[in-house]
Amino acid sequence: MKLVRAFIRPEKEQEVVLALEGAGFPALTKMSAMGRGKQKGLKVGDIVYEELPKTLLLIAVKDEEADKVVSIIMERARTGNIGDGKIFISPIEKVITVRTGEVEL
Amino acid sequence: MKEIWAIIRKEKYAETKRALDAIGCGAMSVHSVWGRGRQGGFIMSDVESEISSYSTSAPRLVPTPSTLALEGATLTKPVVYVPKKLLVMVVPDEKADKVIETIIQVNRTGNYGDGKVFVIPVEEAITVRTGKREL
Repeated sequence: MKLVRAFIRPEKEQEVVLALEGAGFPALTKMSAMGRGKQKGLKVGDIVYEELPKTLLLIAVKDEEADKVVSIIMERARTGNIGDGKIFISPIEKVITVRTGEVEL
Repeated sequence: MKEIWAIIRKEKYAETKRALDAIGCGAMSVHSVWGRGRQGGFIMSDVESEISSYSTSAPRLVPTPSTLALEGATLTKPVVYVPKKLLVMVVPDEKADKVIETIIQVNRTGNYGDGKVFVIPVEEAITVRTGKREL
């Protein structure tokens, strides 16, 4: 299994979640996050925003489905401007469902 | 070292914390998150009454994008985000199984929404105060 962590624009969340649901990935966890990237935030005129609000989506998927999920997120969350976000993918050794104790590798 | 991500019911958080303290793995980061599982946040009507008697989270479900998109149309089932606690802890390899076992033991109610546990390998951990490359 892979854990996909996607930092996206909060206003794109609805579109991304709908697309994922349509493709058969209803399970996700979301949290709001503040952060900055390579550009060190955003400068609009004299005002500097050091950290910008983002939405972090956590999605656990099977190895072979990770690419599909990533491409859906890329397609929906992209605007072409700075601040579209980042996606991180890490391996998961084990996934355990608490209700049943079922273990997936 | 292993990083353990446990997504659990809000109302079980205090109990889980005490149980983890008792086995000596009390160090953790905690986040309040919203999420849904394979059931799409769907709570079956027959277990719903049972759940709401002990669950503080049930009355505070929020609509998801798909609920909003379906507004006006006939909603076949409620799709909602459920409030959850996310515990993140890094533990030595040999303690990982014990921690998972404890989390399952405390959190299992047998209903949907008990949560998931993810185990992720960690290459290195550094303590900022001492600079030592250990937990």
